[in-house]
Amino acid sequence: MSSNTTRRGFLKGAAATAAVATAGICALAPWRHSEAEAAGNVVQTPSLCNGCSSKCGLVATTVDGKLKTVEGMGDHPYSKGTLCGRGHGTAQWAYSDGRLTQPMKRTADGGFEPISWDAAFEEIGQTVKGILAESGPEALAIIQDPRPSGKYYSKRFINALGSANIYTHAAACNLSKESGIQQATGAQNFSVDFGNTKMVVFIGRSYGDGIRPSSVKSLAQAADNGARIVLVDPRLNNTNVMATDWVPIKPGFDIALLLAIANVLVTEDLYDHDFVEESCVGFPEFAQQVAQYTPEWAEKLCDVPADRITELAHALAEAAPACAIESSWRAAFGCAYQNSFETARVVCAVNALLGSWGQKGGALITSSPKTGEVDEVKFPKLPKVQAKRLGDTEYPLALSGTGTNLAVLNGCNDGTVQGVFFYNSNAVQGYAQPAKWREALAKAKLVVTIDVQMSETALASHYVLPECTVLERMELPEFIGGKKHYVAMRFPAIERIYPDTKSCDEIFAGLAQACGVGQYFDFTVEELADAQLATVGTSVAELREKGIVELPTAKFEYGTPAFKTPTEKFQFTSQAVADAGLNPVIGYVPRLVEPAEGEFYLVGGKQSIHSHTMTLNLEALNAISREHDMQRLWMAASDAAALGVADGDTVEVSSSEHAGQVSVKVTERVKPGVLFLPTHYGGSSQYQSRANGYGLNMMDFIPLHLEPGVGSTMSQEVAVKVRKVEA
Amino acid sequence: MARYGMLINTKKCVGCFACRVACQMANGLQSDESFIHFKEEETGVYPNVHAEVVPVQCMHCENAPCQQVCPTHATYTTDSGVVLVDENKCIGCKYCMAACPYGVRIAIKETGVIEKCRFCWDGSEVGNPPRCVNTCISGARVFGDLDDPNSDISQEIAATNARPLASHLTDAKIYYVR
Repeated sequence: MSSNTTRRGFLKGAAATAAVATAGICALAPWRHSEAEAAGNVVQTPSLCNGCSSKCGLVATTVDGKLKTVEGMGDHPYSKGTLCGRGHGTAQWAYSDGRLTQPMKRTADGGFEPISWDAAFEEIGQTVKGILAESGPEALAIIQDPRPSGKYYSKRFINALGSANIYTHAAACNLSKESGIQQATGAQNFSVDFGNTKMVVFIGRSYGDGIRPSSVKSLAQAADNGARIVLVDPRLNNTNVMATDWVPIKPGFDIALLLAIANVLVTEDLYDHDFVEESCVGFPEFAQQVAQYTPEWAEKLCDVPADRITELAHALAEAAPACAIESSWRAAFGCAYQNSFETARVVCAVNALLGSWGQKGGALITSSPKTGEVDEVKFPKLPKVQAKRLGDTEYPLALSGTGTNLAVLNGCNDGTVQGVFFYNSNAVQGYAQPAKWREALAKAKLVVTIDVQMSETALASHYVLPECTVLERMELPEFIGGKKHYVAMRFPAIERIYPDTKSCDEIFAGLAQACGVGQYFDFTVEELADAQLATVGTSVAELREKGIVELPTAKFEYGTPAFKTPTEKFQFTSQAVADAGLNPVIGYVPRLVEPAEGEFYLVGGKQSIHSHTMTLNLEALNAISREHDMQRLWMAASDAAALGVADGDTVEVSSSEHAGQVSVKVTERVKPGVLFLPTHYGGSSQYQSRANGYGLNMMDFIPLHLEPGVGSTMSQEVAVKVRKVEA
Repeated sequence: MARYGMLINTKKCVGCFACRVACQMANGLQSDESFIHFKEEETGVYPNVHAEVVPVQCMHCENAPCQQVCPTHATYTTDSGVVLVDENKCIGCKYCMAACPYGVRIAIKETGVIEKCRFCWDGSEVGNPPRCVNTCISGARVFGDLDDPNSDISQEIAATNARPLASHLTDAKIYYVR
């Protein structure tokens, strides 16, 4: 979008037009004069992408009610005027042939049949009331992958029923990393000041594969500025075009490399004394412990030469404080290993030694805006939930905002959980071993999934409730933090194509009514949105016009940040970690599973065109996967030669849990002894024809086990065997 | 009169396919029809390896080989150097597909016309910028007037020493930084 003026012009037109979509994306070719002239009414609507959790701002253009194109919103801090491939692909979701179009109920033979909304709500409500009467609210739980409306409504719903059991997907995503950062800094994430940085080290994360447009732009700018960009990864990932160094490493040993860097900084007295003495607790204990973690010690574990580790440490010290170890996301220590939580703490420790916290070019902790209090008459407050969330006792380092969703799996198995709701979550396919999820959910009295498509989790449910797709619905405001603060909103750009689909707010209001707590949901999403926006000085009308509004609440300044830890300092030691039964001093934790002779490490990772498992069936994105054989298993050329495997050959991969066949991409881009499997494939829902049976699902191979302290899924603690399948 | 061209910097392209899907939507293509093709290149031996994604589309060649072989003159070049196809004249004989050294002309299933990138030509003018440039997340694509020494693209070509993919084949108007 070139200007707000243009957009406003179009939006005035929108108000006067009742656009009705029929079927199919608008397929007219603009160069055909006759079609272009007959194109009719062109409308532009600001909204938010749902291709991943970034929720980038976009502007959707419709022609006579049909979606034509989407563009990145220029003022949105994540899209900055552009959208990635999956952004364009997921915008087409409304027209996907794999959609759910009406509520479904599982039949006695394991199939599904349509059911009316009224009957579905009534039956679910009766079962919930039965569970409440028999076992109490603690027997109910909800799992969601947060979205603007979903995170509000799912929490309000389960809390209204008296249960504290709300979980996000984080235990299979970024829980370990966020919890580790929290114990060290008090914040759950940090950013790198790419505009001013001299050196940045990525541990497993690839901005070029798990994309947020603004991150890629920032990194490209840093590269243009001559920054040294180091990728520590067993695989040469797609960010390599902007990087200066690739450090191939043994999976699960990033912690050894980082501790050895810390060792060099401490033993050679290259650390920031002022920061360490004034702003930290526990440095003496850390320094004493880290003395043993020499580069030579690390080399034996992580297989990065000691000289190279020392050189990296020296280069970082030279660049300090305008440098950082990047915070990462899921990648190598979001939820991957027994040591993921601790790896995140070591990342923070290195940044502390470099004195980079809050400095230009360093690691920045920024704030986020939030809504103020809304009218308690219209939007009544809930009674305080007395119960403690399941899993919080065993995994006290799980974040308050996420919990560990695997507590629900365990709760179904031991009978403490009897009713489970899923919103925008394909837990069965992606959060832990699918067979274990199915087994656990089969024991529950009630499983309800709310989704736009028949996911593997939907198949394991008693009821499946169809949400309308992203550009067909309004959602609550999304507050965006960082150096600047913003609020943006998802507006519907097209009319609902299937009248028997509902939006998140409508579905939860219906469920709440049926479960006897409808009094807490007696308002529309637009009413609540307007009330929330009023608390920050804007309105639905203003957002509808502008798409995004900057808020005056950001107060970022360079300089040592206020660490919101219990000690109000950066913590090299943590009492909470000690209380969880772990070493309070930041140090070394080994990975759990080691390959035996002849076995391989298995690592996963994203591809830029897909989000988790949810986008695999979308026609435009699936077509790219198939054209480029993107489902393949990556194998080092030297390993392939030893096994007699040629590019494109089929192999069988097997672990303690599962065996499956897949074709091989033979490459020089992966460390010998390591296999890489993209984590989007291996769909098993017969309702999703393009995803079903295409490639392998990595989680099938992973034993069910939880990381101590945080309860993450340890998604890469596995060793696998490979054999060539003769044609 | 402008002479339009494009620069693609593979040192910034992470292969996100935004250009492909945005192009498909804007130009009404099916999911398996794409004006933009992607070549994945891997050079070197572990651990000294470089990988890049090279997006390839119609190069809008001077004296375009596809135009020269077209028996019905359906393929033509505008005054601004954009190579286009008149779908009313195209008989779908595919000579152009055979003649194109870059392999970027495709048959549109619905019409049988052998199509390709048109720099988002809307009937009278190029897209400003074309969709692939507009959505490129890393700024790897630059579009503009090659004859204007002050245009962004001319400046960028000079600064990066960008060159056509295969200057021995044709005189192309897409320049690459590799």
